[in-house]
Amino acid sequence: MSSIEDMKKNAEFLIENLPGKDLPGTAKLSVRYRNLVNFAKCFDITDPKYVGSEEEGVIACHAYANAYTIKSLYTLAPGAKFVQNGEERMLIKNPRMILHAGNKYNWDGCVDVKPGDKLTATAKFGKVWLVEANMMLFVELITKIKNQNNEPVCNVVVTAGIRKGGY
Amino acid sequence: MVKISDLKVGQALKSEFDSLTRDLLKQYAKASGDTNPIHVNDAVAEAAGLKGVIAHGLFSFGFITKLFEDFLEHGKYGKIIEFEVEMRGMVRVGDKLVTEATIEKIAGKRVFFNVKQTSFTNVDIKDKNSTIVKQFEAGERGYISEKDIARGLIKTKEVEEGTLTYRERVATPGTAIIELYD
Repeated sequence: MSSIEDMKKNAEFLIENLPGKDLPGTAKLSVRYRNLVNFAKCFDITDPKYVGSEEEGVIACHAYANAYTIKSLYTLAPGAKFVQNGEERMLIKNPRMILHAGNKYNWDGCVDVKPGDKLTATAKFGKVWLVEANMMLFVELITKIKNQNNEPVCNVVVTAGIRKGGY
Repeated sequence: MVKISDLKVGQALKSEFDSLTRDLLKQYAKASGDTNPIHVNDAVAEAAGLKGVIAHGLFSFGFITKLFEDFLEHGKYGKIIEFEVEMRGMVRVGDKLVTEATIEKIAGKRVFFNVKQTSFTNVDIKDKNSTIVKQFEAGERGYISEKDIARGLIKTKEVEEGTLTYRERVATPGTAIIELYD
């Protein structure tokens, strides 16, 4: 594991360079009926609006935003590379050090997610800060998800905590 | 029927879920695409120092959204605008999740809630002689930490078989905003 001084330098680099920067690329996701319904059933949801037949116009429950957000970030995050002191580095040096610290979902002005939808996610870095008491680095990922008609389906801010040794 | 004129600051919604199993975590992993093995494989979770599988950070969030979907009768009386949640405590197999949402503010047709999801983790049941008559997974695998004890999260209550020891902690605090149609 790096020394505290090295970790502080790495944190300072990320705090200075990440905010506002886009994650390269886009993540594409297809919404499948079975997956959407099985997801809702995890929470004992029985309303046909969320677990009914495709012909009846089933839509995704709100929690399904977890699924497309996580899949998007798994796709986008590995593409985030930086040059620090002349050497290329990834955002996260050790994926086992990541903790999911929080999420903010906003559906204002968004449309429902339906089976057959093709979602596209883009993301950029938001605030980045270090809690020196435990050397945990927090990184916000501002993610916008739209459907095939370019309509927003959800705007999400994911806060990841990276434990010492992970950045 | 849910109408803005019927709601008051301080009014609360509540739900409980106590069927958290390994099979359900596998089902969630498959459906969500979050296939990190620490959620479904005890050996991997133990190797990561977790003493056993933990629920996905956002698994319990689903019960928060469900509380509001049920309250709004699935879009009949209004829509969900925003949720903000913080994952503070690990949730384990066998935990009971109690989700509570209390109205903090009403502005126009928007209703602002404080949300608190509490996990209850049973440890063991002891008889009058302090002999363990039933041990739960948390007791067997040692999920309770010194920190939990120091923070006063360990509690007891009398049940039919004896004295139940359990941990009560806020796993997911947050806020929610909904908008009613009427």
